Amino acid sequence: MFYYLDIENTNGDIQRHILHPLADGGVMSFPLTDDNPNKAAYDAWVAKGNTATEWLPEA
Amino acid sequence: MAGAGAKLFTSGSVLTADQVNTFLMDQSIMRFTSTTTRDAAFGGAGEPTLAEGMFAYTTDTNTLWLYNGSSWVNLLGSDIGEQALSNRNVIINGAMQVAQRGTSVAGITTGAGLAYNTADRWGFYPTTMGTWTNTVETDAPTGSGLRNSFKVLCTTADASPAAGDNLQVGYRLEGQNIQQFCKGTASAKQFALSFWVKSNVTTGTYVITLSDIDNNRLVSGTYTITASATWEKKTLIFAADTTGAFDNNNELSLLIRFGLGAGSNTSSGTLRTAWTAAVAADEFVGQTNVAAAINNYWQITGVQLEVGSVATPFEFEDIGVTLAKCQRYYQRTTGARNFATTVAQTSTDAYGLVPLPVSMRVPPTSVDTNTLRAFDLVNAATSISAVTLDGSVSSETYAAVKIVTTGMTAFRTYFVIENGAGSYLGFGAEL
Repeated sequence: MFYYLDIENTNGDIQRHILHPLADGGVMSFPLTDDNPNKAAYDAWVAKGNTATEWLPEA
Repeated sequence: MAGAGAKLFTSGSVLTADQVNTFLMDQSIMRFTSTTTRDAAFGGAGEPTLAEGMFAYTTDTNTLWLYNGSSWVNLLGSDIGEQALSNRNVIINGAMQVAQRGTSVAGITTGAGLAYNTADRWGFYPTTMGTWTNTVETDAPTGSGLRNSFKVLCTTADASPAAGDNLQVGYRLEGQNIQQFCKGTASAKQFALSFWVKSNVTTGTYVITLSDIDNNRLVSGTYTITASATWEKKTLIFAADTTGAFDNNNELSLLIRFGLGAGSNTSSGTLRTAWTAAVAADEFVGQTNVAAAINNYWQITGVQLEVGSVATPFEFEDIGVTLAKCQRYYQRTTGARNFATTVAQTSTDAYGLVPLPVSMRVPPTSVDTNTLRAFDLVNAATSISAVTLDGSVSSETYAAVKIVTTGMTAFRTYFVIENGAGSYLGFGAEL
């Protein structure tokens, strides 16, 4: 399962980040850029017809 | 008369100065032009008889041999004087001593890009081929000096893999760390891979494939497991390759994959035991299926990859050295009271710089966290819902992060603190 979160960089650009819950309860995140080595897992998941939803703060 | 070889002296023989200078002196360590001339010099009429403890040196490959009573053994590998005496092993964490992410993860079904679960540097890559648990076990070959091993355990089987299914344990090497193999040159060296392995799956063949990512080439080798649930030492010598040099940079150049299962897309071709242009169908030809049944497992330790035709004993390493090498690709801080110091930009996000104790391969490409809180020393700490990387200003020596939470006051300092024993902050720069 993947989520997304759009965050403003220090240079003012909006960068999309992909978040992935881990088995130990943690969360991994990475900027969604073409050269990011973690993008392959996200792309494979999307290719199966999945769509990321927005990461929302805990209630 | 260098390389005179061996001569049988008999009663009444006249010993000349030339024979002393050649045969006798050379027979302390006999010199031959090749293994062919060496083997032809013994056992026949008028020739000496081989005896345990004899030494020979062959000049064509600069190799020192010991006769052990039944065969000649290559003592030091080929090209004596060119082989490293230390730092031979280009595998980091081959003894599975470092596991920054933890020692057990269950429910694994995918690996691409998210392959690192337990032992540092060791990736697990299932593609729709069962469900798995990865662990670092305190189980290793008795008397080897090794103490840990990396284990994959099948918890949901896939006895009939579809064409696109596959299953591997992988190890990725950076180009600038493997230049000593001289790949793509006339001086190209062989690849000696050795490891201990244990599994309950003893039927069929296991395939190991080396992939040259820079030049899209591959070579494969095979091994079998003889006894169930028993540690066995394996050595595979992969051919040298005079075509396609590894890039001398910090990117992925060599991928080692230990096959555990393969659908027809990666097993219907021809097994390539010499380097050739990469074809997916050739990658795991004949690979047995470890995913065939629940509770099947495969376990490995003592992994060493080195230059040459001989696998030398496993090179043990100081734990501090191994940890620092691992931290070039991933580093995690756990249990600290203060993981980072940030300044709030708005009520919901704060920005901070985190120094990295070891320079990473590249600026971090991922961040992972668990149960962190933001604390301003006055108000109650609030849970951090996300930590993201600001790739535009991160470097190999510090990570720029943004934390996302609620209720912050702009321009106030917020410490990122723990929220229990399981708290951590980690940065990845994996290949």
